[in-house]
Amino acid sequence: MIELDTEHGPDVAVVRPRGRLTMVHAADLRAVVAEALADGRTRVVIDLAHCEFMDSSGLGAIIGGLKAARQAGGDLRIAALQPQVMTVLQLTNLDRVLRPHGSVAEALRGD
Amino acid sequence: MATDARHATTVPAVPASLDRVHALLEEVWSAHEDVPADDRMRFEIGVVEIAGNIVEHAAGPAPLDFHLAVEVHPDRLEARFRDPGRRLEVDFDEAAMPDSMAESGRGLAMVLAVVDELTYRHDGVENHWLVVRRRAAV
Repeated sequence: MIELDTEHGPDVAVVRPRGRLTMVHAADLRAVVAEALADGRTRVVIDLAHCEFMDSSGLGAIIGGLKAARQAGGDLRIAALQPQVMTVLQLTNLDRVLRPHGSVAEALRGD
Repeated sequence: MATDARHATTVPAVPASLDRVHALLEEVWSAHEDVPADDRMRFEIGVVEIAGNIVEHAAGPAPLDFHLAVEVHPDRLEARFRDPGRRLEVDFDEAAMPDSMAESGRGLAMVLAVVDELTYRHDGVENHWLVVRRRAAV
């Protein structure tokens, strides 16, 4: 399940995948990010606090979102990674491209 | 304690079946609480990627099922998959991590990063995958 939270500002979208972000929900994540960008919300934060497992499809969807956000003149950041998701990011050497932030607030501040 | 307990399932090769793969692994860990968390997590990454690979390549006119059996041994975790899908072109030498902005193509490289043995063969009828992770010494 993917939730979209628009309470953090007019140009901010916080996207919350809950449970597992695998092939089952990767397309939903892409769609929610695309919807937010189309709505002018170009500062996207993927809040992973409730995402317990991510596979290569989920990771691909986040990279797709990052590219789309940058093309729209914004950015996509990731926050509150659980251990499995952090492991996937490290295994794929993407922790340099997608720097993990401790919380949504830190991601929005750029800490 | 049984060390060779086998847990198995046969499910349709569709995305929703990945949840059944996770459920099977949860059943395995419940029966083998001695398997360290890091081994569970890394083995699960490998098993789910192979399941996803089977689902991805199963697309065809007729739906097919795949079978997954997981075994817990004192020194290793094993997952065996088989499915009646077409023979795949699998080149482990080419399974390098792609460019950082690539949106696909990381699956096999991720599996190779978390397992000690990965084999694929097609016996003329079925595809077979074997995923082995050696357990950390307790």
